Amino acid sequence: MWHQLSKASGLARTALVGLIGFLAFALVAANPANAEIKIGFQAPLTGFAATDGKSAKIAADMAIEEINAAGGEIGQKLQLIPYDDQAKSDQAIFTANKLIGEDGVKLVVNASYSASGRAAAPVFQKAGVVMISAYGVHPDITRAGDLMFRLVHLGPPQGRAAALFIGKDLKLKKTSTITMDNDYGQATMDGFLGAAPQYGIEVLNKYSYSLTDRQFGSIVASVKRDNPDGVYATGYFFTGGPLVAQLRGGGVTAPIIGSQAFDSQKFIDIAGPASEGTYIVDSFDRARNDTALQRFFAEFTKRAGYPPENVAAISYSAVMLMADAIKRAGSADPAKVRDALAATKNYQLLTGELIGFNKLHEVIQTISVNTIKDGKMKFFAKLGDLEAFAPPEK
Amino acid sequence: MYYIDLAVTGLSFGCMYAMMAVGLTLVYGLLRILHVAHAAVFALGAYLTVIVANATGSIGLGFLAAIAVTPLFGMAIYRLLYEPLLSYRPDVPMIASVGLLVLMQDAFRIAFGEQGVTFKNNIYAFRIYDIAGVRVNAVQVAIVVCAIAVFIGLHLFTTRTRIGIAWRATVSRPKIAASFGVDAIKVRYLNFAIGSALAALAGGLIGLLNNLVDPAIGYVVSYKALAIIVLGGLGSVRGTLIASVVLGMVEAYGTIFIGSWLNRDAIAFLALIALLMIRPQGFTGARAT
Repeated sequence: MWHQLSKASGLARTALVGLIGFLAFALVAANPANAEIKIGFQAPLTGFAATDGKSAKIAADMAIEEINAAGGEIGQKLQLIPYDDQAKSDQAIFTANKLIGEDGVKLVVNASYSASGRAAAPVFQKAGVVMISAYGVHPDITRAGDLMFRLVHLGPPQGRAAALFIGKDLKLKKTSTITMDNDYGQATMDGFLGAAPQYGIEVLNKYSYSLTDRQFGSIVASVKRDNPDGVYATGYFFTGGPLVAQLRGGGVTAPIIGSQAFDSQKFIDIAGPASEGTYIVDSFDRARNDTALQRFFAEFTKRAGYPPENVAAISYSAVMLMADAIKRAGSADPAKVRDALAATKNYQLLTGELIGFNKLHEVIQTISVNTIKDGKMKFFAKLGDLEAFAPPEK
Repeated sequence: MYYIDLAVTGLSFGCMYAMMAVGLTLVYGLLRILHVAHAAVFALGAYLTVIVANATGSIGLGFLAAIAVTPLFGMAIYRLLYEPLLSYRPDVPMIASVGLLVLMQDAFRIAFGEQGVTFKNNIYAFRIYDIAGVRVNAVQVAIVVCAIAVFIGLHLFTTRTRIGIAWRATVSRPKIAASFGVDAIKVRYLNFAIGSALAALAGGLIGLLNNLVDPAIGYVVSYKALAIIVLGGLGSVRGTLIASVVLGMVEAYGTIFIGSWLNRDAIAFLALIALLMIRPQGFTGARAT
């Protein structure tokens, strides 16, 4: 047959090869046993938020590998389709459209910041794609529709929990507040300020700073003059670290309570001895006696070169939860996966137990508080008063 | 007490900005190029300081390494990026400079990690001095002392030494200087070498002060330093110092009074706009041509 082939004209040869190729392709594409369930993934892999993006990606990859090693879900392997949204709204929308149009994805984990998650949410909702926001805290994300889920406490409930902790547990009356002036920082502080009077907390003064600030001389001088019983600050580890170091350096001895994004080994590295005694609300209880957590901790540290923080843990859990929902739904159909997710009860996330989702698909979960003792992150308290920081229903 | 604290803060900011901006004004004075990539030189200095300090255990060695190596980087930028573009309009080398800065910031992120690098044993940032109720740390003192030393040193260098006088002559009267046998090319290399060394020193000090060197460390330098040299009078070292301290004071006091509705940068630039409208040539006027 081959020598007949070589005698045939060039055009006929091309046509024959093309036909064979097409048949082979069609066979592979049509064979359901080879099809994988695509899980879209958006994270800031470059740009100012690349730290968290990298953590999220490593964690998500770990989750996918683990799931596939155990055979996948409903007889199919999972495939992560990652895109870099640079934590920017325009990139979030652009990559969302790519996931929907080019990759035909129906289930997405968004491991990006609030602004970008908020931009992507309505795009996915309109296209009938289920999205789990791993750690983006903007309220509009879940308000975009019933296909949206969020795995982390909103800013305002976190702030309310901080007020509960400062007023009831630490029993501090007069506080000065320091807010980071982005969505995350302000939303969290709004929750605190709203709940503060309820716990007898008097806010002496409010200060704010930007994401790029590293020097807080004026704020430190002002807090010193206020002489509060406690200081509550929102921000990330790379602003909180210098802030706490400078507050202590400036002579402020009152307890300092920070927000969730302080929760990183890097915070301790930067603030050095000044980090001692800082409280962090809605933190990640790393030392919890949980084999899955400890295994994750060791593996992530090996892969990333630094220990995992909340972003890594919650991104891993987001992928795991999505897979679990596929299993419970018995299908990768978005409407069925959505129903399975909404019905989740008492699911163990790496960051703690997810008691369930409320009507708006916000988490019902206790909040833990860490403190830094002897230069290490230690669990301090668990806030179980779910009513006090219940997320909104709409 | 409170207002003294704020004044000390303002002085501290001012000296920081002065150290960051002086290299920039030196380059503009000589070549009329806005050396935006100065922020990359600054960041490189910061990274070298922290990495060598962590590797050798000596912060002093870190600074020495940074001051020794960054001039080479600075001179390379001149030779490879600016010299070929000098015959074009000034915005052409500036765009190239912006491109280099963007490239370097991602290069730092890829090379040294997104989270940034902290000093393993930062004794100076946590060494606090209490001077009559005002608390400052050792690095803040070092920044003020260095800023003063740098400016006095530059002044003496450009008025008392042959090389310095030749440099000043090339800046203000290039043709006459050339006719006296001053090699303009050597002066340019010297200019970049000194400007870069000063940027490295500033970078190392800021990294030490914050106890964190991350890819965004050059961010403030990239736009604020440019604004400062305009305010000071482009090309004027003395003007840069004045503008830096003024801006530092405006930020320190401004954020207290109107910080609730304008952030620090907005206040700084509002002041800049106001000052430039009053005095468009900057504090010490345009450089003599």
